[in-house]
Amino acid sequence: MNRMSKYFMLMSSAALLAACGNGESDSSGENSGNGGSASSDEVTVWVQYSEESAEGQVMVESIEEFNETNEEGITAVVEYIPRSGSGGGYEDKINAALTTDSLPDVITLDGPNTAAYANSQIIQPLDEYISSTDDLLPSIIEQGTFNDELYSIGYSESGVGFFYNRTMLEEAGVDLDTLPTVDDPWTWDEFNGLLDTLASNYDGPVLDMGFDDQSEWLLYAFSPFVWSAGGEITNEEGTEAVGYFDSEETVSAFDFIQSLVEEGYSTITPVEKGFHTGEYPLYMSGSWTMQELDNEYEDIDYGIMPYPVSPNTNELFSPTGSWAYGMTTSTEKPEEAGVLIEFLTSEQELYDMSMGNSVLPARQSVADRMLEEVEEPMQVLIEQNSKTGRARPTLINYPQVSRTFQETVTESTYYEQNPDLNSLLETKAQEIESNLE
Amino acid sequence: MKNTKGIFRGFTGVRANSKSLMDNSSFKENTTGYLFLLPALIVLGLFLFIPAMMSLYYSFTDYYMLTPDLTEFIALDNFKTLLSDATFRTSVGNIFQFVIFIMPIQVGTALGLALLVNRSNRGTMFYKIAYFSPVVMSLVVVSVLWLYILNPASGLLNEILQTIGLPAQPFLSSPNQAMYVIIFVSAWQGAGYQMLIFLAGLQNIPEEVYEASTIDGANKWQQFLNVTLPMLKPTSLLILTTTLIDAFKLIIQPMVMTQGGPLNSTLTPVYYIFRTGFTDRQIGFASALTVMYGGIIIIFTVLQRKFVGGDTNE
Repeated sequence: MNRMSKYFMLMSSAALLAACGNGESDSSGENSGNGGSASSDEVTVWVQYSEESAEGQVMVESIEEFNETNEEGITAVVEYIPRSGSGGGYEDKINAALTTDSLPDVITLDGPNTAAYANSQIIQPLDEYISSTDDLLPSIIEQGTFNDELYSIGYSESGVGFFYNRTMLEEAGVDLDTLPTVDDPWTWDEFNGLLDTLASNYDGPVLDMGFDDQSEWLLYAFSPFVWSAGGEITNEEGTEAVGYFDSEETVSAFDFIQSLVEEGYSTITPVEKGFHTGEYPLYMSGSWTMQELDNEYEDIDYGIMPYPVSPNTNELFSPTGSWAYGMTTSTEKPEEAGVLIEFLTSEQELYDMSMGNSVLPARQSVADRMLEEVEEPMQVLIEQNSKTGRARPTLINYPQVSRTFQETVTESTYYEQNPDLNSLLETKAQEIESNLE
Repeated sequence: MKNTKGIFRGFTGVRANSKSLMDNSSFKENTTGYLFLLPALIVLGLFLFIPAMMSLYYSFTDYYMLTPDLTEFIALDNFKTLLSDATFRTSVGNIFQFVIFIMPIQVGTALGLALLVNRSNRGTMFYKIAYFSPVVMSLVVVSVLWLYILNPASGLLNEILQTIGLPAQPFLSSPNQAMYVIIFVSAWQGAGYQMLIFLAGLQNIPEEVYEASTIDGANKWQQFLNVTLPMLKPTSLLILTTTLIDAFKLIIQPMVMTQGGPLNSTLTPVYYIFRTGFTDRQIGFASALTVMYGGIIIIFTVLQRKFVGGDTNE
């Protein structure tokens, strides 16, 4: 018994020691990731994707090139920290680094986090380090600006359009030449005309808008309807929502969204991959869907049309947003970090990132260059993006505001429970306002 | 029941030891005893006690995740906000709906299954494995699988309903049905585990007791009521307590299947705490929610023990 217990103690203390040892080596690993403690010209970057991903592959090459060519003798080191679906993993690491003050020199962040990060002084203004901002798309500037200063620079863009199945539209007797373009979009009424034709031909819902995806998607994809109607989520300063989110214009946008479900054109319970499998002729989705369709559903012959616009304004808006580079406040090498960010957001690097990863470009010059090389559906999204893209609001409490917006979309689609959109939006406007500072 | 007995023996063993701890003559043995406890205490301390104490402290602060350095003590402000927080009230209402339904359904199913497989027929092994297999699957996987089955437009379940002439149901997209669907899926997933514990309890009831009752002229139903159930009491108590605590911790199923919707009908307190802390970054307020909710769980666990009569089972 005694011998046994001694043996056991030995084992357990060894295990404990091993555990502690691991902890130490882990933290020292983190420290070496921190630019501050490494050699004087080393700049560390944290990114939210894996080295093996398409983005990662482009990044590896970019960094190699940067380290060979930059004249300042800076060595950039990238740490790849893949995030999970909702941003966990990577953001957990950022949050942990905040408590131990071990952030790297440059981080990537999701665009809508810019305000919170800037307000909490995690990232600092980039204006004095970056010279070539003129060519950046307005949506990239909007997304990265907080209190009139540029804090983050998106390295790509994203967009949403209405995917249509050419074959199914033609079968229903729709002349594809009459479909809308970015310069000549349809009004909601004209769009309803198409939906009506399709619905009577295909008997049932014909448009998947992703109502079942109760996430950031609902604000991202549905806010353009509000903007097109002349409505707003908050005032320009981001201090008031009452009088904006419950305005007549905003109500008209939600009225349109609600009517799509009420008329049976769209559905809150779409069939999984309904567009991909020829169930629905129309699909409101993002640029990422093109890759999926091209690689796995080659039978679907599709095109993309821009958002329909409110008949009251005829103004086209489309959603934008992306991950962006930011420079931490804690960096000891702002000059060097600035040089790196400038390089990573230069025309050639953004071109490589967009082409390598099949995403929309963040610079006008890259957009012009890509327009000549990509296929027609991508052209539509690039054009819509650079002409009509608008960034989501930059608010410190963005997660809360976004959730309220998401709930508003969902609740308006439950038209039987919420026939009175005016009172729904009044409540929601107050809820949003309680989260503004 | 062999296992359960072993556990009880363990308890009495500890008690015997604790007496001898006061005895100075066996000092060496005591030290060894404490050293045995040490690894467990360190692990529990690091991952349970210290975090719990930190939550308690944070609940009195305005800890915002992005500005840990600016955290300030704000006394009871979080709790004041909490009292008027309608979303928290909704979530607590939802979890009570869940608990009230899942307790009888899951425990009843588990007992029924245990009785069914508690025979030495051929093939019971197959059923044991079949009933237990959902338990070993990841909750996320189970939830995603059910999402496909429950899809109102193309799911298997609605296909079956329509084949037998019943109307298709909205399931998870209906604020009235979503919670019941989650109750059903959770009970289906979890019952196999309690079945196994019940089974152990059943197999530990001595054959003589049944023989005696047969001699007294008891039929099967009377045997079940007067022999099986009372003999299962310690097992049942363990199952009721653990199931209750697990039920209060519901988060994965609504997170994967409904994201707390539709219209907050499946938002549970733990999910709300997670969202407040990690999405909204309000660690201070989330900690206050945790403290409050932890209190609620403790109260109900104690109440349950009182009503089910846990104190008589020593």
